[in-house]
Amino acid sequence: MRKRKINGYLLVGLIITGALLLMTLIGAFHTPWDPNAMSATEKFQAPSLAHLFGTDRFGRDIFSRVLKGSGTTLAIALATVAIGAVVGTLVGAVTGFFGGVVDDALMRLNDALTAFPSILLALLVISIVGPENKYNVVLALGIVFIPSFARVTRTAFAGLRDANYITSARLMGASNGRILLIHMLPNTARVLLPAVTIGFNNAVLAEASMSFLGIGVTPPDASLGYLLKEAQSMLALAPWYALCTGTVIALLVFGVGLIGEGLQKMDREVA
Amino acid sequence: MKYALKRILMLVLTMVIVSFLTFLAFELISGDPAEAKLGTEATPERLAALRHEMGLDRPFPVRYVSWLAGFVSGDLGTSYNYDMPVWELIAPKLEVTLCLCLLSFVLITAVSIPLAIWSYRWTGTAFDAVRTAFNQLCMAVPPFFTGILMSYFFGIVMRLFIPGDFPDLRTDFGEAVTHLFFAAICLGIPRAAMTVRMMRSTVIGEMQKAYVRTAISRGNDRRGVLTRHVLKNSLTSAVTFLGQTMAELIGGSVVVEQVFGIPGLGRLLVYSISNRDYPVVETLVVILAFWVVLAGTLADLINQRIDPRLRLGGAV
Amino acid sequence: MKKKILAVILVLGMLMALLAACGRKGGETPPAVKERTTANEITIGIAQDLDSLDPHLAVAAGTKEVMFNVFEGLVKPTSDGNLVPAVASNVSVEDGGLTYVFTLRQGVKFHNGKTVEMQDVLYSVRRCAGLLEDGAEPLVPALAVIADIQGEGDTLTITLSEPNLEFLAYMTLAILPADYDQQATAPVGTGPFKFVSRAAQDNVVLERFDDYWGTPAKLQKVTFKIIEDESGLVRGLQSGALDLVSHMTYTQISQLDKNDFHVEEGSMNLVQALYLNNSVKPFDDVRVRQALCYAIDKQGIIDMAFDGYGIPLGTSMFPSFGKYYDDSLTDYYPHDVAKAKELLAQAGYPNGFEMTITVPSNYQPHVDTAQVIVEQLKETGITATIIPVEWDTWLSDVYGKSEFQSTITGLTSDNMTARKLLERFNTQAGNNFTKYNNPKYDELFAQAVAATDDAAQTAIYRQMERHLTENAANVYIQDMADLVAVRNGVKGLTFYPLYVLDVSTLYWDK
Repeated sequence: MRKRKINGYLLVGLIITGALLLMTLIGAFHTPWDPNAMSATEKFQAPSLAHLFGTDRFGRDIFSRVLKGSGTTLAIALATVAIGAVVGTLVGAVTGFFGGVVDDALMRLNDALTAFPSILLALLVISIVGPENKYNVVLALGIVFIPSFARVTRTAFAGLRDANYITSARLMGASNGRILLIHMLPNTARVLLPAVTIGFNNAVLAEASMSFLGIGVTPPDASLGYLLKEAQSMLALAPWYALCTGTVIALLVFGVGLIGEGLQKMDREVA
Repeated sequence: MKYALKRILMLVLTMVIVSFLTFLAFELISGDPAEAKLGTEATPERLAALRHEMGLDRPFPVRYVSWLAGFVSGDLGTSYNYDMPVWELIAPKLEVTLCLCLLSFVLITAVSIPLAIWSYRWTGTAFDAVRTAFNQLCMAVPPFFTGILMSYFFGIVMRLFIPGDFPDLRTDFGEAVTHLFFAAICLGIPRAAMTVRMMRSTVIGEMQKAYVRTAISRGNDRRGVLTRHVLKNSLTSAVTFLGQTMAELIGGSVVVEQVFGIPGLGRLLVYSISNRDYPVVETLVVILAFWVVLAGTLADLINQRIDPRLRLGGAV
Repeated sequence: MKKKILAVILVLGMLMALLAACGRKGGETPPAVKERTTANEITIGIAQDLDSLDPHLAVAAGTKEVMFNVFEGLVKPTSDGNLVPAVASNVSVEDGGLTYVFTLRQGVKFHNGKTVEMQDVLYSVRRCAGLLEDGAEPLVPALAVIADIQGEGDTLTITLSEPNLEFLAYMTLAILPADYDQQATAPVGTGPFKFVSRAAQDNVVLERFDDYWGTPAKLQKVTFKIIEDESGLVRGLQSGALDLVSHMTYTQISQLDKNDFHVEEGSMNLVQALYLNNSVKPFDDVRVRQALCYAIDKQGIIDMAFDGYGIPLGTSMFPSFGKYYDDSLTDYYPHDVAKAKELLAQAGYPNGFEMTITVPSNYQPHVDTAQVIVEQLKETGITATIIPVEWDTWLSDVYGKSEFQSTITGLTSDNMTARKLLERFNTQAGNNFTKYNNPKYDELFAQAVAATDDAAQTAIYRQMERHLTENAANVYIQDMADLVAVRNGVKGLTFYPLYVLDVSTLYWDK
């Protein structure tokens, strides 16, 4: 096996994402201003040293709000991908490994779920689970993301099922669970990792779209998507609000996208 | 032929499952269409009367079966909110949304395939990295954000179209398409970037295959191999991906329509769900799901034509 | 190469756009607006679609606001809050409010060309009162007081089961043709405008009714354009798609060019308040409710979230109700954190408590208000959490089942009676969603309804308002300002003390 070389995409992606993560992490414990504190005298201030991203129509510090907001967005995206990846892999493993009736039934259900345009499915789930808070957004998006993970992993598991080393493991008397967990799972990481990066980005963008339609996160939880929606209603009065928030979202997705690109490139070079 | 038949059967089965899931979803949703309709003036007696009129007092399986029977016989029901036949309500909006999606699809296909081939030639150069970064950036900006900026620049500043005033598709087709054009671009940018990325990596993967090396070593020029063999072999995955794109566009249009003030299905969908207008939502869901499944099925069937090996039914 | 060319074109395009933006002077009329001016048409932006077009079934305030121009009752409200005869030409109240006698106006036409007959009037009133043969429930519960309706020639006599001074206000109910079953899709009324068409979630078109009995409308055609997105309304005005939008926020207004638009300010005529569920802890304790009143600074809310626009209120009544409105109640609870803490300590919450505020998330002003209140309550040690819900969930859970702790909404009245605003705090009222329960209040209400003298009745209603304030039934905030963006050249906007938009007085000043 050749040595895995870190490539430029991966590096730049990691730097951007790392920097954003670090800021968000700090933001979780300390923000320059209270993100919800209002001030009637400081409405619509342009960016300055005191307020890096300026202030909004309640005189709240946008930088602090963006820090908190990216925390919410990250939490939503990570939790969504976690639900999608774990449940999806489980479904994919079971269907891909065992095949048969279970495979047929689950895949039919999978097809049906995939047939809903993602935003529509999220809307329906949100309507069922009730109040629009971040947990329900996570639940809705998580369910939306399961089918794509299931499909990707199913193919991977099905491909490995008849591999020589699996057959020999089985001959040695390894249990199905052991084979799935120890022998197959690590080998699906190759397809799972890029899927996770894409899933993460889709989650960030889907959350933003939902907030824009007014069905996503609502106050007091402020995600980046919610902030962008708020910002666009005062585009002419505080353009910096929309630009700063929009840039942070774009950077986040861009950084993770580059990581995905880098991972794939690495994979190609190894193969 | 047998394969096509099987696919169509699967399509119908999926549609039935989808409609059942949606029905089930409404069974679980809190809130009641009768309450939504009567609002703050509701009295228990009027609520009960209205529920009866809407048929909501019947048990769940009965309602589903009667809806299904109606749907099959072409009776889509009457909207709770608009008191008009669902189809009359949806049809004009469906036209607009379909136009938007098709326009966007054509733009994506027309732009991304040449761009993918062209960008392949830069593989390994410094420009390649810039191109990749630009590609990623196109995928990173939310379409509604591009939409807001575009409608501001092209609509309000340059007055190329009037945001918020969508011309009638039938009488002012030209102007309507201009309006849709900008929306289609916003809708298409991220998907086009994804298509370029996907096509490119398929071509790269294909170029590394043994037959290409053989062909080149026999003295065929690289370009010829690319257009004659590689593209043809990459076509199947491109068709599959474009099928997915077609399906994704309809979901994305919900948001973009809102930004450009286009009277498509999007707003009606959101409104009908939150107002519990079940007959409308049920029909919309089935139409949208049909669209998605149809796109996938069509892509598969086209691939069958392109690559007869797939006809054996094994690898799907 | 191609990409570079593309990039250059894009950059050039952006630059041109920027230059155009700098170079374009305000006041330059977009072509679409010129066309409308010549054709004597106007386009008005509204934020939500209409519900039922049948006026007797319509519930949403936004629907009544628009359809006010299409329908009329026997009497109709004027902009100064009085009722004048409309489909009736004369009204007389007899026996101290027990009998109402209407004389029908001659030659009033429906939009479908038919003349209004006695049978149409009888049908319309009976339908609302639940007196048709089909045995349906009354559509308007207050009309259950009707004991008898008689129509002879052109004289309509309505006898009530008990005297009611406010009954006339309910006779604004729309008069509809008796033998017409398309009201829900193609409504027909007698108003200055007739309904032409609607497209769901898109628009509603009205046209001048040339056979109108009264002062004809000035405009030929009015299009109501539905744009739910708040920045979409602003873009619509800027682009020339819209000429007039009501209920705007100051943030929206201030993005418009002063050369193109002016702002007219009225009031929304509603009672925005933090409505409390009086039946749950801790709000069943009057001291806690009073503490909240002291802790919340209404002027602060108006300054912070509404840029100073709005009239602070102290009770369930707003100024346009004239004689019923008691201004002295507004400052009954001045903003006083110390006093609030003291009351909380007395009530057994020295360290504050936790509470939830349920807010309909589709209505931004209420969400904004909630955010400011959360911040204000922190000073008193109360931790409030916002629960945003869909409008439909709000209706069923909060309004229908009273499953909430506190909520922010604006309660309005669709006719000019104080009763409509005050009845809901009576224990017997079906719509008493705040579960306010006070025998004294119920007694006052019974007296007010039974009163046969207007002055006496007014005095009792004012007592009821004072009662609500003293017992801190809810934390009253404001009557929100109604900011209307009007394109320069559009004149004649009239404000009503009701939630309506009269387009019959609008015109282009060419």
